[in-house]
Amino acid sequence: MLPEISRSVIKNSLLLALFAAVTVAVVAITQQSTESRIATEERAAQIRALGEILPAHSYDNALLDSVIYLNESLLGHRTDTPTYIASVEGQPAAVILQANAADGYSGTISLLIGIMADGTLSGVRVIHHKETPGLGDRIELAKSQWIKSFDGKSLNNPEERGWAVKKDQGDFDQFAGATITPRAVVTAVHKALQYFDQNHAQLFAHLKTTEVSQ
Amino acid sequence: MNPSFRDITINGLWKNNPGLVQLLGLCPLLGTSNSTVNALGLGIATALVLICSNAAVSLIRNAVTNAVRLPVFVMIIAALTTCIELLMQAFTYELFQILGIFIPLITTNCVILGRAEAFAAKNSIARSSYDGLMMGLGFTLVLVAIGATRELLGTGMLFTNMHLLFGSIAEHWQVVVFEDYKGFLLAILPPGAFLVLGLLIALKNWIDQYYAEHIASTAEVTAPAVSRRVRVTGVVD
Amino acid sequence: MTLPRITSPHAKGANRTQRVMLLVMAAAVPGILVLSYFFGIGPLLNITLACSFALLFEAAILALRQRPVAFFLKDGSVLVTGLLLALALPPYSPWWLIAVASGFAVVFGKQLFGGLGQNPFNPAMLGYVVVLISFPVEMTAWPAAHSIDVAAGLQYVFFGQALPDGWSQATVLDSLKTNSNLTLQELWDSNPAFGLFAGYSSEWVNLSFLLGGLFLLRKKLFSWHAPVGMLAALFIMSLVFWNGSGSDSHGSPLFHLLSGATMLGAFFIVTDPVSSATSVQGRLIFGVGVGILVYIIRAWGGYPDGVAFAILLMNLCAPTIDYFTRPRTYGHQTAKRGFKTGE
Repeated sequence: MLPEISRSVIKNSLLLALFAAVTVAVVAITQQSTESRIATEERAAQIRALGEILPAHSYDNALLDSVIYLNESLLGHRTDTPTYIASVEGQPAAVILQANAADGYSGTISLLIGIMADGTLSGVRVIHHKETPGLGDRIELAKSQWIKSFDGKSLNNPEERGWAVKKDQGDFDQFAGATITPRAVVTAVHKALQYFDQNHAQLFAHLKTTEVSQ
Repeated sequence: MNPSFRDITINGLWKNNPGLVQLLGLCPLLGTSNSTVNALGLGIATALVLICSNAAVSLIRNAVTNAVRLPVFVMIIAALTTCIELLMQAFTYELFQILGIFIPLITTNCVILGRAEAFAAKNSIARSSYDGLMMGLGFTLVLVAIGATRELLGTGMLFTNMHLLFGSIAEHWQVVVFEDYKGFLLAILPPGAFLVLGLLIALKNWIDQYYAEHIASTAEVTAPAVSRRVRVTGVVD
Repeated sequence: MTLPRITSPHAKGANRTQRVMLLVMAAAVPGILVLSYFFGIGPLLNITLACSFALLFEAAILALRQRPVAFFLKDGSVLVTGLLLALALPPYSPWWLIAVASGFAVVFGKQLFGGLGQNPFNPAMLGYVVVLISFPVEMTAWPAAHSIDVAAGLQYVFFGQALPDGWSQATVLDSLKTNSNLTLQELWDSNPAFGLFAGYSSEWVNLSFLLGGLFLLRKKLFSWHAPVGMLAALFIMSLVFWNGSGSDSHGSPLFHLLSGATMLGAFFIVTDPVSSATSVQGRLIFGVGVGILVYIIRAWGGYPDGVAFAILLMNLCAPTIDYFTRPRTYGHQTAKRGFKTGE
């Protein structure tokens, strides 16, 4: 016969274990039943995000699977960053790369930049920033259309010196009261275009290797 | 001993409202109330967890011993929150991304453990679930009131992005209340949450006081001089 | 024989609060004149609007709180709040911006805490920060000195018409902060907003507020501790972190002392007897804290000027400072050091 204290410890432990098992089971069942739907939703959300800057009809490959990882100082990368390569019937169509502008007003501005194979910009979106609300945050599409002023631009349109904000004698508008933020974004996009210009052969080379391996 | 359903309703929605009186769960209350859709999304999620956890706690209230009561309650709440999180991820993915850390944080929302301890552990399943519903509703109402006020003051619009919660039928629910509005940014930023919550609490206290005075004055009219005679201290004027 | 039923104190001075407030307003006159010299009727417009709105809000909320309206309005404190707010705002601020700022200053900054003497924060700075955070575009539209088109300014203030190009100009603190590739010398040469040491207009405005402040100091309205602490700390910070005149410069010590709201803050706001620390030692610490924070915000923060933020942050610290700098009570033994260092 166990002393009473041990009996109560054992009883309570078993009770706790029972509840742990039940709650784990409940979570496990929910997880099992939602797993595939969550995966689909995640992919759909990513596709929607990429579709913002590269319309779905401009490529025909599985964009999310056609990914390479870059760690380029020119693009402001600090870790391996995914870059998506789009193609039409196996031919290079576009790339979507992420660039970070470290010289924002407060902290890094992360951009998603879509560049067509011919070097024109299909679109730019800000995915993360910490700029001042009401001033610098107009780089978001939700706040202003400014970010769309990059659509269709390329390395030679405008010319080299046009790749700056108007205050620095460039072609791009700054915002009332905020110069640093748009300046940082313009510079980062310009650098991304330069990077693409120098490296597009390597970027699209990935397309051939995957083609072969498939 | 058993509180009536009417009392539970009044307590949850007004007299003992978790947001305005108990001031429990302030972290999500302040953190996610910058728009109506965020507030409603988190309010519903919290209410669901609250109803389920109250029901579950009430169901097992006679089986658990005092020694393991709290760990068991916490386990139930955590499991339910995880389930809600997974469900939100599956069915309202974008809203899930916006609310982010606040959904797992429902576990730590004091309202839920508080109700489990103070009510569900002592009452029947029906009463406990109903209490969860009313407390959850009271919390959601306050959250939505703050969210809508902040959204209106901050952007001049209401019901923006409601499709995140209700799907494509809510695509055009956005109402522009003030045309050409400058946007009072402070309301959207964190200080706005404190200011609006403070004003709501003040409003509630003012209404309570108004009614108390109103009732007192009508009572005085209906019950004449008798009441003055009973008074033994102070000055009768 | 009837005895007069008056309680002590029997010897009363002049209405202290009223006199203090009148002196503060008088001391602001040089600053107002210099501001008007540079920006035309803009500052006067600000003052008129801010004081009217502040009076209106104060009267309204006093009535709501069932307090004697005329009695509290007469002490002049609300006019000083309106005045300081008006001086901090950019000249020709839109009327609704001034209304929001005065409303927050008086209602949220002062009356909700219980009125004059109860407010933990300086009301004027609170109102200023509310609009600074909420309407950054309007708050960065400082007009360019002398080139004021009064008609355009009035239309902007009262009817929300857009400002003509070149009407507003970045302040020197803003230009320095957004500068990326010019050395200080180049910046000075290229930008007419820069003057001899600091801003073309701001150096004179700051000097005139310094003058007014010295007058108040002479009138013994406040002790030297808080303003000197703030200015000394700002000076030392800008000297220690003075990284030359290259393109990443944070500006010279003289530049920091004479630009932005430095002098207005040092002599008119840091000296606020209600929201600052109470003991002499505490005021010194309070001022030093403000000075350090001003520099940190200017050099590395998210806004070009930091006086308002710094003062509000130190207002938060004031009760703690008071707790640790309580003078020794006579007859108690514990504070031996306090006995030696204090007077």
